[in-house]
Amino acid sequence: MLSLQHISKYYQTGGNKTFVLNDLSLDIDQGEFVSIMGPSGSGKSTLLNIIGMLDEPTSGYHYFMDQPVHQLKEKQRSALYKQYIGFVFQAYHLIDELTVLENIETPLIYQNIKGAERKALVADMLDRFNIVGKKDLFPAQLSGGQQQLVGIARALIGKPKLLLADEPTGNLNSKQGEEIMELFKKINKEDGVTIIQVTHSEKNAEYGSRIINLLDGRIESTTTL
Amino acid sequence: MLKNYIKTAWRNLWKGRVFNIMNIIGLSVAVACCIMLFLTVYYEFSYDKFHANLDKIHQFYFTKNGAEKVEKATSMPAPLTPAVKAEYQDIKYITRMSNGGTVVRYGDKQLEESIHFVDPDFLKMFTFPVVKGNTDAPLKDLNDVVLTEFAATAIFGKTDPIGKSVELNYSGEPKTFVVSAVVKDFPPNSSIGFDVLLRFENTPTYQANMKSWDHHDHSVFVQLNDNVEPAAFESRLQNFVKKTFKTTIADMKRDGARPDAQGNVYTLNLLPFADNHFDTELVGLEGNSVSKIYVLALLAIGIFILVIACINFVNLSVARAFTRAREVGVRKTLGAGKWQLLTQFWVETLLVCLFALVLGIIMANFALPGFKATFRSQVSMSMLLQPIQLVVIIGLFVLITIIAGLYPALLMMRYKTVMVLKGSVNTVKPGKVRNILLVTQFSLSTLLIVCTLITWQQINYFKNKPLGYSKDEVVSIPVGNSVNGARALELFRNQLNGQPGVVAISGAYDNMGNGKDGSTRTSIIGFTYKGHDVRTNIQGVSYDYAKTMGIQMIDGRDFSREFATDSNAIVVNEKMAAQLGRKNVVGTYVAMDEKHPQLVVGVMKNFHFRSLRTEIEPLTLVLSGYEMNYIFVKVRPQNLSQTFNMIEQKWKQTFPNAEFQGSWINENTERQYKAEQRLSTIFISGAIIAIIISCIGLLAISFMIMVQRTKEIGIRKVLGANIAGLVLLLSRDFLKLVLLAAVIAFPIAWWLMNQWLQSFVYRIDIQWWIFALAAFIAVFIAFITVSFQSIKAALANPVRSLRSE
Ligand SMILES: Nc1ncnc2c1ncn2[C@@H]1O[C@H](COP(=O)(O)OP(=O)(O)OP(=O)(O)O)[C@@H](O)[C@H]1O
Ligand SMILES: [Mg+2]
Repeated sequence: MLSLQHISKYYQTGGNKTFVLNDLSLDIDQGEFVSIMGPSGSGKSTLLNIIGMLDEPTSGYHYFMDQPVHQLKEKQRSALYKQYIGFVFQAYHLIDELTVLENIETPLIYQNIKGAERKALVADMLDRFNIVGKKDLFPAQLSGGQQQLVGIARALIGKPKLLLADEPTGNLNSKQGEEIMELFKKINKEDGVTIIQVTHSEKNAEYGSRIINLLDGRIESTTTL
Repeated sequence: MLKNYIKTAWRNLWKGRVFNIMNIIGLSVAVACCIMLFLTVYYEFSYDKFHANLDKIHQFYFTKNGAEKVEKATSMPAPLTPAVKAEYQDIKYITRMSNGGTVVRYGDKQLEESIHFVDPDFLKMFTFPVVKGNTDAPLKDLNDVVLTEFAATAIFGKTDPIGKSVELNYSGEPKTFVVSAVVKDFPPNSSIGFDVLLRFENTPTYQANMKSWDHHDHSVFVQLNDNVEPAAFESRLQNFVKKTFKTTIADMKRDGARPDAQGNVYTLNLLPFADNHFDTELVGLEGNSVSKIYVLALLAIGIFILVIACINFVNLSVARAFTRAREVGVRKTLGAGKWQLLTQFWVETLLVCLFALVLGIIMANFALPGFKATFRSQVSMSMLLQPIQLVVIIGLFVLITIIAGLYPALLMMRYKTVMVLKGSVNTVKPGKVRNILLVTQFSLSTLLIVCTLITWQQINYFKNKPLGYSKDEVVSIPVGNSVNGARALELFRNQLNGQPGVVAISGAYDNMGNGKDGSTRTSIIGFTYKGHDVRTNIQGVSYDYAKTMGIQMIDGRDFSREFATDSNAIVVNEKMAAQLGRKNVVGTYVAMDEKHPQLVVGVMKNFHFRSLRTEIEPLTLVLSGYEMNYIFVKVRPQNLSQTFNMIEQKWKQTFPNAEFQGSWINENTERQYKAEQRLSTIFISGAIIAIIISCIGLLAISFMIMVQRTKEIGIRKVLGANIAGLVLLLSRDFLKLVLLAAVIAFPIAWWLMNQWLQSFVYRIDIQWWIFALAAFIAVFIAFITVSFQSIKAALANPVRSLRSE
């Protein structure tokens, strides 16, 4: 479903180029659960953002759902993104002015889905994540774990084929983290959603089916579990 | 979707309510001002537009290119109209017009109405449609009378007026006329206003006037044929002028007239009737002309205020936008398209603007009565509901929301999503655009401050300049129509003689300044003296005029009862004496009309008998031949108000039926500068509102910046900075901008006010300290506004501000 070929990304600092990603190639199939690991500054977030089309590589080829992303226009790219990709952040990034329900609903609005259908989808999601009782609360009234739960619900509401998570458990305690990982596993298994997560925790990484180790913008090793 | 937008917009607005309330207050004040100002401007520009043939109607005026000045006059001789009409094919319609008042009697009802004497073409040229009666030729017969609906109802009530006879008395003897038609009432923005129309042939001295080309006493309007160019017609008219006014032209050439570009000294010209309302140069036009400067000043100030409020809006939205960059980033990751985000921000702006609009309309409603009184405006809120106004309001509204809402939104969209989510967008950027906008705001405000100061100075100068006569201790009383002036003066003189406090009493044909009766009279005569043209203002006076008015004689004496021959004597001012051209004019004879040479008995020092807008002109005082319209009483400077009351009492005793309209002459002279006073009020109100709105913006922005700089302030305090230093540090950037704004405003203000001052013969020089003062005021107000926030920030506990990061 996803293929990166010879992807490089560098920043011009002073006279010389600092490579964040260096000639990196990677293929990911439908239904995989990939964990990306590596030391701080090794380019994990950058890689994830490129996969999620929030960022662009300096050079290289990027195919997603058989489409050459590197050749697409902004508009087509965001259409592709809207349809297939969900994002989960370390800092949750919920919209403070919106309630839990409205936060989850927002992606559907941008996909121009009708009100009644939206209501049904959101109700399902709330149900599934066991947060029906919290639906009218604002993010500031939730714990970190609950906020991340909402963040994941929001990422999944549009039925994405690919879920990207950048240190989703980074701000959570280990018990909360475990719950989130269990959830990911379940989503991956039951719904067939492809998941790519960045994590610093060996334990969390092992929930995945493949672990990719990054070092200085290159893939140092790949472990298939 | 929209519901969702509105819901989020509302929550966002509520979250930033401090700013939004400031925003809304500023905007709604601006909206209220703009509604009133723009409606007034629209009203003034809509004058006479209801005439279907407006573009083709012109008024005749003569231009005399004299040796010293160019004189323009709209008065025409009666035979001119038939002569021109017979000679020129260019003319479609032509009408003479002369105004007067009449007593209308119908049955036992008697009313005062205003009357226009016109030719039958009048109703074909001007759009005063007939609603009842003879529509084809309403003024066919000499005894036809046409009434407006208003006048018809006043006279006839519910009875049908057509065919009824009414008795009009406008010349001393009543005549009977038959109502032939009723015309629709004209709108208030009509220069031509009348109750009654009569044929021009009914003017009291028509027969005599038709024989004379020298008696100029009415206006003439023409409507040209569709294909005729006014300029071409003007030049063709020159043939007629040269032929008809041979002697006038010869006399002018003898006196050194300066021909115009075409070599003519005396021309007949066309004033487009469309320009009538804004022409303040020609005298004797229909209606009350207003200077375009005042209307444009209103428009400019309206635009200034709107611009300043919009700048606030943009600046505040931009400032808030920085705090909302993360939200935009998140929404983008949730799949929001560019237009969806822009719409969201636009809806927020729309809501704020809508609040402001509604609030502004409410404010305007409350402020309107005061506004109308101050600016002599005729507008009403219902004018807002006309299609043009609605379109303009909606258009302006949408435009403003787009500019003010879209710019900050676009700014936010420019950020890279990744950066925003990482929290690495620098939110402390001062922003070039913001600074430019702030400078614009304060430039406009400073400009208005300078204008205010200079108009003030000029008005004060008017008030305080010695006029060459005593204005503070003289009461001027208009005699009114119910008593004969000369008789009244004599009676009143006897009444006041020997009263304590009264120094002298006299009377005159014309008032000094504008009295409470509101009328002014001008009498100018021209004659040939020793082979050259002399023109002088004539003032009919009674004995003791110079004494009463405190006018200094520099040669000879004032009129005196001891000389019986003084009834045929004159007293002149220096200007007139200079025109007579000799060293000692006292004792010489001047023949103002050929048969009776008059002896010059005295020369007065020049004094300002007209407003300070004009030079002092030649003036001649005569004892006889003029009605005494005003009585002047000079009093002792002690107990002024007591003496004034005494005079009023005596007047009421002496003339129980005549209203007492007396006033001090200094009040009358101040009334001459009402137009300037009004302009100054416009500037002051404009300046105050502009500054208030600018300061609201400054306050909000400084607040925003203080919040952003909390950490820096905390660190500086820990490092030992003192409060005063911090306040200065925080305010300095703003003050620099305000100062820059002032400097930018100066040349513009100087140029503008210099233009304005050129219209006065007696005027102040613009002084540098005016600018210094204006800059000081602007900086001072800005400093107070900013330091409000900076002091608060500087006083805050550093530990807390550091922890808040
Ligand atoms: N705008 C930029 N300009 C220059 N260098 C940048 C920029 N953005 C990121 N980098 C560099 O790119 C490298 C990779 O950053 P990235 O955020 O991908 O690291 P990471 O592996 O996610 O680290 P962490 O585990 O700390 O999140 C870092 O060394 C960072 O300094
Ligand atoms: Mg990272």
